[in-house]
Amino acid sequence: MYAIVVGGGKVGYYLARELIQGNNEVLVIEKDGAKCERIAQDLGDVVLKGDGCEAATMEVAGFGRADMVIAVTGDDEDNLVSCQVAKVKFAVPRTIARINNPKNEAIFRKLGIDTTVSATAAILSQIEQELPEHPLMRLLTFKGGGLEIVEVKVPPASAVVGRRIRDVLLPQQSIIVLLVGQDGTPRVPTSDTTIQAEDEVLAVTPTENEETLRNILTSPPGGSEPGSSDPGYGRPGPAGPYEPYR
Amino acid sequence: MGCGRVGAALASMLDQDGHDVTVLDTRAEAFRRLPPEFSGKRHVGNGIDQDILARIGVGQADAFVAVTQGDNRNVMATQMAKHLFGVSRALCRIYDPIREEIYRGLGLETISPTLVGARLLKETLDRQPAPAGQES
Amino acid sequence: MPVDGSQASLDALALSCSLARKTKNTIYAVYVIEVARTMPLDAEMTAEAERGEQVLSRAERIAESLDYEVSGELLQARDIGDAIVDEAVERGVSTIVLGVGHQETLAEFELGETAQYVLKNAPCQVMLLRSAIEE
Repeated sequence: MYAIVVGGGKVGYYLARELIQGNNEVLVIEKDGAKCERIAQDLGDVVLKGDGCEAATMEVAGFGRADMVIAVTGDDEDNLVSCQVAKVKFAVPRTIARINNPKNEAIFRKLGIDTTVSATAAILSQIEQELPEHPLMRLLTFKGGGLEIVEVKVPPASAVVGRRIRDVLLPQQSIIVLLVGQDGTPRVPTSDTTIQAEDEVLAVTPTENEETLRNILTSPPGGSEPGSSDPGYGRPGPAGPYEPYR
Repeated sequence: MGCGRVGAALASMLDQDGHDVTVLDTRAEAFRRLPPEFSGKRHVGNGIDQDILARIGVGQADAFVAVTQGDNRNVMATQMAKHLFGVSRALCRIYDPIREEIYRGLGLETISPTLVGARLLKETLDRQPAPAGQES
Repeated sequence: MPVDGSQASLDALALSCSLARKTKNTIYAVYVIEVARTMPLDAEMTAEAERGEQVLSRAERIAESLDYEVSGELLQARDIGDAIVDEAVERGVSTIVLGVGHQETLAEFELGETAQYVLKNAPCQVMLLRSAIEE
């Protein structure tokens, strides 16, 4: 996905970083030279200095092939115009605007902006939903225990598709608590439950095993990605993800 | 909305023609540009805040004109006047000609001083020069 | 050792060859295709790639004539300067040799954006060869 972020302030910066980590092509447009340099230093060559409301800059930035435009400057009028021009002139399929004054939500909606949000967190959850596959989403982190609930979507090419839960080698202290099928039907798993393609897997896992868990559930057969040789590995399935932990 | 040179001159003209005029600007100092005989209302406030637009009575206006220095502010306020308050004539100054074209397409009455200015200069150039001593 | 086909860049290549012959260092000749943001980075740029290959083979011939061997590299990037510095870091090179031209014009001489970027950002040593002024 090619996502253009208009505005390289704090919101724009962190948003861009998340999007890049999600393997998206990202471009940040920012007027301020110093902010541009900071972004370029931290995130690489993903920034264009210019006015994200000016059609000439938008042309150069490749709005014409953008899948999504997210305007997150501190000025609602600039966010509105970026999104409107993106839609009208460049036919961008999806526009998201940050709103600084919540009262503006009505007018933005009336003027055809697809989504409005007023906080970074909300922007991120919107984007995750837009992505064709979101490898791993942290739903809840428990304070103190280092445990979290995560959601992983199982891609059709994953090695675990068609396998029973008991045959899947999960990282230590990780258990699958729920499977949600493609049609939205939830299944409470037993060790005999079969994992299917496009299942949303909800699992409890220690934070440090998150990456390993993601690899196991998403990697195609014939070896997981490099870096998955985590020490957290290693309990055979039949002992069961449901064995109480001590 | 916007009491700069253009805004003040326009407000003054409309006032002289006997219209009921309200001027809005974010800074009170801007009103010094209005002539002393100006009989309309002056309000300090941000024109892209819908509560302020409501308070100064945009809902009852026959026309709304946005001439601040910011193209985007003008565009947003004018769209609010038109779509939230149902003002039948909503005019908007947009310096950037491309943006102007887009918003004209979206139903705003727009003027780009950039294009108008360039066109005027060109027309003047195209005309035969006046004989020496007769320039105005 | 970025080459863009200009005389300045090929002169700089010849210089690097004669310098490297003594030290037996490896020379990478790099041609960078700048891809506009209107296209994906991996877009197929046939014409540009062809030109790049031509430039690289010219560079190889020049090196051969000086009894040296260079390895050519064709890159696609958003920004030439950025790509040169990145490539230098990745290969851990000790020196970037840049050739810049100078046309006599009415305007004041100004170092190009790419050269400025490389001078400012390269972690390694940078050599700059400015050609004689073209009349």
